[in-house]
Amino acid sequence: MDPDTTLPVLLMAAWLVPLASFVLIVLFGKYMGPRGIGAGYLSVLAIVTSAIFSLIAMFGVWLPNHDFPAAHESEHSSSTHDGAVVSATDESHSKDSHSNNPHPDYYTGDWYSLGEFGTLKLTIGYYIDSLTVAMFCMVSVIASCVHIYALGYMHDELHEQFVDHEVTLSSGEHLHRKGRFYRFFQYLSLFCFSMFGIVIAGNVAMVFVFWELVGICSYFLIGFYIERHSASTAANKAFIVNRIGDFGMLIGMMALWSSVGTFAFGDMKNEKGEVEQGLFSLLRPEESEYQLAPPAGMIAEQKRMFAGDPNASAGDAATPAIDPKRNTQGQWLLFIAGVGIFCGCVGKSAQFPLHVWLPDAMEGPTPVSALVHSATMVAAGVYLVGRFYPCFSPEALLVIAYVGCITLFIAATIAITATDIKRVLAYSTVSQLGYMMLSLGLGGWVAGMFHLITHAFFKGLLFLCSGSVIHAVHTNDMTFMGGLRKKMPITAYTMLVGCLAIIGAGFPLSVYGLSGYYSKDAIIEQAWSFGSVNPQHAILKWAPVAGAFITAFYMFRLWYMTFAGQPSDPHRYDHAHESPRVMTGPLIVLAAFAIGIGWPIFHVNDLLEQGRPVGTLSATHGELLTNLTIPSEHDSHVPLIKIPAGIAAFCTALAGVLLASIIYLWRLLNPDELKESFKPLYGFLWNKWYFDELYNYLFVKPTLIVSHCAAWFDRNIIDSILHTSAAICKACSKVVDALFDQTVVDGTVNTLASGTWGLGLWLRKIQTGSLRQYVMFIVIGTVALFVTISIVQAYFIPTS
Amino acid sequence: MQPVTLQNVVDSLVDNTLDMSLPFFRPELALCATIVILLFVRIFKGGEYIPSFFIAILGSITALILAFPAEGFESWATMPRQELFTGMLVYDTLTAFIRIFLLSFVVLFIILSRLTGIADAKDGQDYYALVLGATLGMCIMSSANHMMMLFMGVEMASVPSYVLAGIVKGRQRSSEAALKYVIYGAGTAGVMLYGISLLTGVLGSAHLPTMAASLADLDIPNLLTTAEGRLTVMVLVLGGLMLGVGLAFKLSAVPFHFWCPDVFEGASAEVDAFLSVASKAAALVLLLRVGAGLGLTTAELPVADSADPPRVIAVAANETTAPTQNAVLVKQVADSQDATHVGGGPLSPVRRFFVILVSLIAIVSCTFGNLAAYGQTNIKRMLAYSTIAHAGFMMMAVAAAIALAGRDVVDARTAVSALLLYITLYLFMNLSAFAIVAFLRNEMHSEDIADYAGLIRTSPLTAVMMTAVLVSLIGLPPLAGFWPKLRVLQALYMAGGPLMTFVLVAAALNTAIALVYYLRVAKTMCIDPEPDTRGAVSLGFLPAAFVFVVSVPVLIFGILPGPLANWTDLAVSQLFS
Repeated sequence: MDPDTTLPVLLMAAWLVPLASFVLIVLFGKYMGPRGIGAGYLSVLAIVTSAIFSLIAMFGVWLPNHDFPAAHESEHSSSTHDGAVVSATDESHSKDSHSNNPHPDYYTGDWYSLGEFGTLKLTIGYYIDSLTVAMFCMVSVIASCVHIYALGYMHDELHEQFVDHEVTLSSGEHLHRKGRFYRFFQYLSLFCFSMFGIVIAGNVAMVFVFWELVGICSYFLIGFYIERHSASTAANKAFIVNRIGDFGMLIGMMALWSSVGTFAFGDMKNEKGEVEQGLFSLLRPEESEYQLAPPAGMIAEQKRMFAGDPNASAGDAATPAIDPKRNTQGQWLLFIAGVGIFCGCVGKSAQFPLHVWLPDAMEGPTPVSALVHSATMVAAGVYLVGRFYPCFSPEALLVIAYVGCITLFIAATIAITATDIKRVLAYSTVSQLGYMMLSLGLGGWVAGMFHLITHAFFKGLLFLCSGSVIHAVHTNDMTFMGGLRKKMPITAYTMLVGCLAIIGAGFPLSVYGLSGYYSKDAIIEQAWSFGSVNPQHAILKWAPVAGAFITAFYMFRLWYMTFAGQPSDPHRYDHAHESPRVMTGPLIVLAAFAIGIGWPIFHVNDLLEQGRPVGTLSATHGELLTNLTIPSEHDSHVPLIKIPAGIAAFCTALAGVLLASIIYLWRLLNPDELKESFKPLYGFLWNKWYFDELYNYLFVKPTLIVSHCAAWFDRNIIDSILHTSAAICKACSKVVDALFDQTVVDGTVNTLASGTWGLGLWLRKIQTGSLRQYVMFIVIGTVALFVTISIVQAYFIPTS
Repeated sequence: MQPVTLQNVVDSLVDNTLDMSLPFFRPELALCATIVILLFVRIFKGGEYIPSFFIAILGSITALILAFPAEGFESWATMPRQELFTGMLVYDTLTAFIRIFLLSFVVLFIILSRLTGIADAKDGQDYYALVLGATLGMCIMSSANHMMMLFMGVEMASVPSYVLAGIVKGRQRSSEAALKYVIYGAGTAGVMLYGISLLTGVLGSAHLPTMAASLADLDIPNLLTTAEGRLTVMVLVLGGLMLGVGLAFKLSAVPFHFWCPDVFEGASAEVDAFLSVASKAAALVLLLRVGAGLGLTTAELPVADSADPPRVIAVAANETTAPTQNAVLVKQVADSQDATHVGGGPLSPVRRFFVILVSLIAIVSCTFGNLAAYGQTNIKRMLAYSTIAHAGFMMMAVAAAIALAGRDVVDARTAVSALLLYITLYLFMNLSAFAIVAFLRNEMHSEDIADYAGLIRTSPLTAVMMTAVLVSLIGLPPLAGFWPKLRVLQALYMAGGPLMTFVLVAAALNTAIALVYYLRVAKTMCIDPEPDTRGAVSLGFLPAAFVFVVSVPVLIFGILPGPLANWTDLAVSQLFS
């Protein structure tokens, strides 16, 4: 099969089927079976169809047509000395060691043009490379599992009278409302459509459109229990915080368009057969060996920005004068564009400082948390960084790395003290996303993307397991759980698989382990590789290792508190039961993926290597920060880095598990005593580093004060002017009404109307119903017509 | 040259019939075959198991498919006018268009009859045979080129209609309506036949173009100067009037409308739909054919316009020395030529007579129909008066077309196009209105407007669709009914002259008058409180789907009238040439 034509068609089908399901459910959802149960089946059918299309695209079209690159392990054994030289920070040498990689295989084109504004083209198009196909498979498979799981989880909504125990009305009763089963699946379908839209998008503008669509879906789904105050505020919070990130993204898009003049990623031919260059080839032209080179438009634009002299104001940060070889032409604008786009990713992927919305988003139903707020949507930010990778300058990458580093550490620490099972997982998600960002920022593109995919599976699994637990004990609070292992073994052991996967369990220095083992070790290796060439950024080397320790600790804390030990609430324990098969089935499927997706025999790594963005293989150097080097990713596989990094990761994770076991399994240390002795630290973490309070005082309160002032002005000044003028106008019109309207106008109209009505009623009387009269009227009518025509002919047709 | 022998005559007749005429007559033949099959299928063993609905729908769909032009609609732009069966019928784009229209309507109508259950298993074959027979008559009406065919078409359309009006057995009102219809129809048919005999007697032919040529030869302005000639003209005028009576009966135009409200109330709503849409459409086209057939010859084309008037004025000028009564009349005839704007030529008096007659009847019908609809309590009776009013409105378009035909062919075509657009959209509006009435009758056994109160709460789709249809019948944008009214008014404006301006004003006023009684029904359905006694009203899926399918075009063509208007423009592109 020709991938050039079949891939877009297959993926478009996979993309549009959920949209069809959404439209059908919007229109007819209410009528599908008893209380809309058919909507659920329709939605499941749609997403499974998408999954089948995606898998056909992967196994039927992509893999047969694209060979894996030659295993680079062997390549490295021969270039071991290069790595050693790299660690000695010899920049020039590392530049020669790897020839820079050209464009990966990709297919791009436009389906539909929304409009052209000057040189700006807004189109619905596609850009398909191995990353796109892999993301399609990942999203559709996880979404299928979650959809099926939700059929069981949302079963309560099928009742005609749904009782929401979390909402207490003023009368003291719980809220009763109609079930909204079909609406849930309607939003899920829309979400899948939007998510696929982001993945397949062929240009930044289309990404932005679907970016907002997933945002609104997330809003709907978080606020699904809209009657709960906490849910509606969480939905608002998520949406508003995301908008802040999107604002930055808009700035980035404007910077790009004004200087480069296109939104498309790849090169495509227009109707005349000319090649229109996309962003990637414009920013990394072939002439400069795919190194980042700001195009002329960007340089001119930056000159305009700095009013003539590019060096005058740029000199404060970097030092172009010191090193005449470096030039900062266009680099600042490139930096702004990169950081701007990254701002959008910060919002969507809940990175510091916009991470505050994600834990609150757990107010949504658990399948939503699994699909939207851990596996796919929040990963969209990471995906966009990966997709946009060739356009990030080294300085922008450093920003990304630091943001990721801070995020992974803060979120991990908060997760230690949280007791809400879903919130622990939420903070863990934030932390893992931080890992991915860190990896991307340090040059580990494949490592970051690899972790994105493995994380999606095991985090989806963990959330679904937590949902299964919540379904059984009807609470989110882990302090009311314990010992559930015996009651719900499938959930317990699949969740154990998830925990082991997320901490990266595996045999160190071997190729055997769970999926997280491969991706997490790759990230840590990349961090160490980066640290070895940039000693001034050593914190980026140690933070992920510390993060691995904390991750292991809180994940096993969670598992022990939930499943091990003695039941802390016997009443809830007695009522607990294993979930129905429709829920445990997806758990088992996802557990299998969580174990095996990273195994080398499945070649996920090689598949991603096929999609490596253009020009990112060789080490690059900062133009603004001259002593910054982003190392080549292949350098991280040299034994000099790989072995100590692997051992460090394994030891820290093992230490974390041990500490959790000491405290929560063997009870050698009492958690409450620990709480007392570290009270200030505990309070700090329990209150989530006081981020919410800080934002409340910094942004929310001042905004409210300003808005109160504006409201007062509106109500007291503007309204009173309006009311006075309205009153005057009304008084005038009353006078006119009484003097003229009621007597003259109304009188005329009423007389005319009653006259017409009377005429109509009188005309009715001609219709007597008597047949004899009717026949007589034929004769009378003919004669009357004859007379009338004669009269009209003779007298009424005027003579000129 | 071949010698004229019997054999030669027969041969040429056979050739003409088989090679030329019959291929154009295929849809009608399909209808005939369907009727025969419907009636005979029960003779054979097992025939009673074949539902007559299937035969009828298959037959009508076959006829419809055959009616579509084989070379596509674009071929209409170049299709010449052809006379079939040695001049009995005429085949041109108008025939082709109206045949597609009538057969499409019949297909929809048969489905409606099946859905409402009016044609049950026992009566089905009779019912469908009558419907198809009447349709056959209407097809002949709309392509008539000969007085004989005109009369035959009118009767073929009328006689089955009489029976259809009384098809509901055991209802006194229904039987009474049918009887009234028969007798009234017989009376007007007699008058019309008398008129036809007068005309053919004077003109020596019943073939419309030949009659027009004879009329031109008579030189009417000259005839009026002698006493004997005036008698001849008098006979012609009376003949024309009497012919008009027959047509006015089919159009239910005032003052020959008396049958209409009684028959509509007595007959079932489905039959009303048939009478109000198909029958009216065929009658309007027939009216246009008579007007164009008698009022225009090939010499009457506007090319001759500049040459002809001086001659007429010259006649008048000669007579100024002896201003007798005749001369005054002649002068008026000559002068009024400009006043009524019917163009020049020897046939201009005929056209003027036609235009005045049709305009007067149209104004009276329109106004009367709208006013008399005011106080009606029965929805079918109200819609009967509404039909009278709409027929009047459409006749205005015919008048405008004939008035324009002598002057500007292109403008005249626009007027006919307006008429066709009106007819087409009227199909959707009236069919869906009567379909809703029929389905509601099945549900709540009432046809009183008062019983529709608060329908929006029990059956929102029905109420919304009915309201849309009623608003469209008024002619308010953005619904489809707006466009044909606008185009008719445009045509009237183009026609110009005092009489047409008067018609224009009357038409515009009538639109305002019509507002009241249509909106009264809408108000009853949507605003008035529900009566306590009525239970749930639900149409069921298929009826609701039918109503939906028929009413949605009212919305679509209201917003996008372009395609339909292009089609009707195409259908008139070869007319009057």
